Order: sequence, then C-alpha cells, then structure tokens
Amino acid sequence: MKNILTIMSKEFARFFGDRRMIMMTIMPAILIYAIYSFMGPAMHSAFAPDADHTPRIYAVNAPESIGQSIEQYIQTRVIGINESGIEEAKEKINSKQADLLMIFPIGFDDAALAYDVHTADSPAPNITIYYNSTEPNSQNAFRVALHLLDAYESSLANKFDINRNIENNGDMASTEDFMANIVASMLPMMLLIFLYSGCMGLALESITGEKERGTLATLLVSPLKRRELAIGKILSLAVLSFLAGAVTAAATILSLPNLMGSGGEAGDLFDANITEIYNITDYALLAFVILSVLLLLVAMISIVSAFSKTVKEAGQAAAPLMILVMVAGISGMFGTGQPDTVYFMLPLYGSVQSMGGIFSREYSSLNVIIACLFNLLYAGLGGFVLTKMFNSEKVMFSR
Amino acid sequence: MQKRMKVILKAEGLCKTFKLSQKQQKLQNTKQKTITAVDNLSFEAYESEIYGLLGPNGAGKTTALRMLATLIKPDKGDAFIDGLSIKTEPEKVRAKIGFLTSELKLEDFFTPNYLYDFFAKIHHIDQNIAEARKRELFSKFGIDEFAEVKVANLSTGMKQKTSLVISIVHDPNIIIFDEPTNGLDVLTARVVTDFLTELKAQGKTIIVSTHIFSLVEKLCDRAGIIIDGKMIVCDTIENLTADKPLEDIFFDIYAKTAEEKEGGLR
Ligand SMILES: Nc1ncnc2c1ncn2[C@@H]1O[C@H](COP(=O)(O)OP(=O)(O)OP(=O)(O)O)[C@@H](O)[C@H]1O
Ligand SMILES: [Mg+2]
Repeated sequence: MKNILTIMSKEFARFFGDRRMIMMTIMPAILIYAIYSFMGPAMHSAFAPDADHTPRIYAVNAPESIGQSIEQYIQTRVIGINESGIEEAKEKINSKQADLLMIFPIGFDDAALAYDVHTADSPAPNITIYYNSTEPNSQNAFRVALHLLDAYESSLANKFDINRNIENNGDMASTEDFMANIVASMLPMMLLIFLYSGCMGLALESITGEKERGTLATLLVSPLKRRELAIGKILSLAVLSFLAGAVTAAATILSLPNLMGSGGEAGDLFDANITEIYNITDYALLAFVILSVLLLLVAMISIVSAFSKTVKEAGQAAAPLMILVMVAGISGMFGTGQPDTVYFMLPLYGSVQSMGGIFSREYSSLNVIIACLFNLLYAGLGGFVLTKMFNSEKVMFSR
Repeated sequence: MQKRMKVILKAEGLCKTFKLSQKQQKLQNTKQKTITAVDNLSFEAYESEIYGLLGPNGAGKTTALRMLATLIKPDKGDAFIDGLSIKTEPEKVRAKIGFLTSELKLEDFFTPNYLYDFFAKIHHIDQNIAEARKRELFSKFGIDEFAEVKVANLSTGMKQKTSLVISIVHDPNIIIFDEPTNGLDVLTARVVTDFLTELKAQGKTIIVSTHIFSLVEKLCDRAGIIIDGKMIVCDTIENLTADKPLEDIFFDIYAKTAEEKEGGLR
C-alpha cells in the first residue's frame, strides 16, 4: 500500500513538475476553446441573414393582400414589375443585388378562391418564386414568403385548425426534459472521448516511455511488487486523466454557447438551472459510472502501452481502441429507451447506456450499478493482466 | 581456511536461450532461430569476497547477471542467493541484492536527490538512516554538487555514479555489478574500485563482470572465465595467475576452445 502511494507521488511529481507535459495535456482544451469561440461567431455571421438589411423583393401581378402582408412582415415595399422585367430581376437575384422574385398568374386572388380540388379540371393556380440560396438574406425572404403564402392558402379554405392559441404548439415537454434529451444523446460519447484522450498521452509517457527508456527496468529490480507497480500506475493515470478530461470538458462546455451563438437556444439551454434537473442520486451514480469507466479505460490503455515497444508503436496500437471507444459512444446517440440488463455488463457500452440513462433521467439504478461493478471487475482484470505483463520478460525486455 | 567460508551465492546449471528475430538473424548472419547466451553455468561465491566474471563481448556475462538479479528467468537451472531461489522467490532476492547494469536507467526528469529518496522509500529504509547514507555516498562520489541537477543534464560518468549509489540505496549484502567501470575515466574508475574493496571489508559479497583482466587481477579474490556462455575455469586469482598473467591464460583458453569448436565441426 505504501509502495503504491510512493509510485503515485512520483507520477504526480513527474507530471506537475513538467510544464511541457501540462501544456500537452491542456492543449486540446485550449484548442477546443479557441476554435469553438472563433468558429462560432464566424459561422453565424456567415450564415445568418443580417438584421439591418432591407430586402429587395420584386413581384409580377401581386395581389394587393399578399403584397401588404409581406410589407408588414419584413418592413419593405414589394416592387411591382411587369413581365418584361422578369429577366432583369432574375439577373439581379443571381448577382445578389435583389433577394426575391414572385410571379403570380393574372387574377390570382379570384382564381385561387374559385378553385375547388374536387371539381377542377385544370391544375391549381401556380406561383413561381425565384431566390438565391447562397445569399442568407434572399434565403430568409424566401422562407418568409413561403410561410405567408401557406397561411394565405389555408385561410382560403379553412375547414379546421390544429393547436390554435395553444402554448408551445402543444408540446408538453418541459425545458428540462428537452435539455436532458440533448445532453443525454451527446454527452456520454464526449465524456468517454475526453477521458480517453486525456489518458492516452499520459499512459504512453508513463508506461511505454519508461519501458523504452529503461527506467521501468530499474523499478523491476527493486523489491517493489509488480502488482503494486501496476496499481500505482493505473491509479495515478486515472487521477491525472480525470483532471485532463475535466479540463477538456470544461473548455467544451464554456465554448458551446459561443459555438451555438450566444443568446440563442443554446444560450438558454445553459442558463437553465442544471441543479434543478438532476438530483443527488443521479449525481452519485454518474460519478460512480465515470470513475469506474475511467479505471477501465486506463487499464485498457495501460495494457496496450505495456505491450508496445516504442511510444510511436503504442500510438498506432491504440487506434483500434479509440475506434472501439467511438463506436461505444455513438451507440449511445441512437437507440430508444434502455436495453436489457445483460447489455450493461458489456465494457464501455454499458457505461455509455448508463450515462445516457442518467442524463435523460430514465434509468434503473440496478442496471447502472451493474455497469459500474462490471467496469471495476474489468479494470481489476486489466490490472491483473498488467501485473502479469510487468512480470513477463518477453513483454518488458523484448527487442 | 577458504574451504570454511560460507557460500552465499550458488548458480546451478543456469541456461538461457534467446529467440532471434528475423532481423537479428540477418544482422548476425545466421540461420539459427535461437542463440544460447548462457550454457549450463555453475559457480559459487563466498561471503565477503569479490568474484569476477570474466569474458569477451557476447560471452553471456550480462545475461548471467540478469538472471541472478531476477530480471529474466533461466530456461534451466536455478541459483540461490543467501538460500533464496531466484526462480521461486524473486521478490525476496531483489530485496537482498543491489544490481547495476547499463540497461537500468534513471529517469531523466528527476534529480539524483529525488531518485535516491524515491528508491529509499521503495526499499522502506528509515528516513534518517537513508538521509545519513545519502550524505555519505553523495560526497564520496562527488554527487553532492549535482544533487539537484536533472539526470538528463548529468555527464555520463555522473549518471553512472548516481546509478551505482541508487543501486545500493538499501545497503545490500550482495552486490552484483555489470561492468561497473565502463565509460568512467581512470580517476572515477578508481573511486569505484576502491569503494568495492571498502564494501568487501564491510563483509559484503560482490560479483562483478568485466572484460578487463587487470581489473580482475587487482580487485577480485576469485574469478571465472566465460566463453560462449560456458564456464571454462573458475579459481582463486592466486591459482589462476600462478604461472602467467591472466591475459595470457585467457588467450590460451580462448585458442583451445576455438580449436575444440573447429574439431567439433569437422
Ligand atoms: N534479448 C536478447 N535477444 C537476443 N539475443 C540476446 C539477448 N540478450 C543477449 N543476447 C545475446 O546473447 C549473447 C550474450 O550476451 P550478453 O549481453 O550476455 O554478453 P556479455 O558477455 O555481457 O557481452 P558484453 O561484454 O559485450 O557486454 C550475445 O550474443 C547477445 O547477442
Ligand atoms: Mg554485458
């Protein structure tokens, strides 16, 4: 036990004493924050229609009523032209000098009113609209026009309404549930990947690196038990990867509002009080899942690291593991409801399902606890394998 | 008198073969799939003597010592250190011995001071005792000035001396040094050999491997000559060097074994 602590304190001294290593570990966090923070606003300015813009809308034969409602809706005057001006208007939309061209048949109002699906022997009156999808303002004007025309059409032949004057159009989901759903589908994979990437760099350095440089051999001739060495390495890696993962997760969460556009839906999402959504049991179980799956990940990565002869080789050998982590993570984004209890015994998959369940507040505590216990079991097995590997001269001293 | 000395290390028919990878086969220009590094090696070392393992490059000295230090396991045979089997009680053996070989490296990132304390803790040495010993050993080898310099920035010789000091942090009774003076200048080599003599005077048993004959003549009480993994002769230095210097003896033996090999081939 004392030896395990000695090993751990050396690992911590190694990590915290080395600015380069700390930088390497928090670099992903800094990058994520920087990229999201710059990319978000840039994306929004590129794709959002700009608010001050006065759209230029041309119309041929526009009925008075429609012209007026468009003018009301987007505060601009519809410019009426005749058919000879159509080509010129299209040209302008193409070159982004104008936003929209609507062509109505002559006498559209009356024709539309008189039209009856059941008795008509000719197709319904048709409106042609030209716009430019690469220009956000034009795209926006097109959307508004569609919306208004739709409303106009249904007002012509109103038989019944759905959800008139009902809040949220009848969606009874609370904001909390809505938020929980989004979080539930994304977060398990992200957490898994944060933990994995945090651990990967550290384990490479601490196990393959030490093996490659011959410093592990120095420990192997000491009376230190191989088991103590394995446990010491796994525990210290777990603590450090947890910190690394937490930093990356924090950077992502902090930069998400920037990515989604502040004040937008995502902004509201993160304003919602998280503490009201989840209770103490949720948190306790979540912590248990995260810590146990972290131990499992560390054990898996440690084994790959111990097998590899060089840090470079270990980097390559870990790629399939990364894919496994991704697949398990993605599995959490699909699927509906919670799978059978046996599936919670699967490594990684069970944890992803548990986390998703907790986040969406639809889980059985029994399943989650089973997933955690199996994580610990697998991590223990991993520790056992690592001990065997430290004991094996083939693994430790192969050339 | 010598007959009554206590055997503290006993190797019995140690064998070790390594598999050769295809790359190694090509490099060594051979079709053999394996190489026998140590071949039925037996010898004894008595308490408080310096025993020398002498042999040319590739003779199997390092391999033999790695087996004694429990870093690798023999394919056949066993060795007993203070009565403990290297095969079945490796952990206890490790606590009894100090092992130095170029393969064991110190972490570049740490200072001699930190590493000394770390290994003292791993060996469960009382802090006060460890501290006193550190002061003594660091000043003897001139490490004290460099105690806070990272290993990465130490000279080769200073690294070697630090490794040596750390290998005996637990004041072991049996010390196994593989080519301890390799890469050291004459002055530093002298400090090391004097230190070994001092340790012997304290009653410790020392096994050294080397290919330097003069070192064996000066330092060792008894020596064994290994060629191709086999022990060819093993005797006291007086007996070995009764007629000729050790170097000549070695050449005689070497010529003879080469002849036998050729004879065997024919
Ligand atoms: N891990 C290994 N794999 C393959 N061959 C090995 C291995 N270790 C040692 N050998 C071979 O075993 C033989 C003995 O090597 P060893 O290092 O024991 O010799 P040595 O007497 O210490 O030589 P030197 O004086 O050069 O240090 C050599 O031929 C070496 O190539
Ligand atoms: Mg050698």
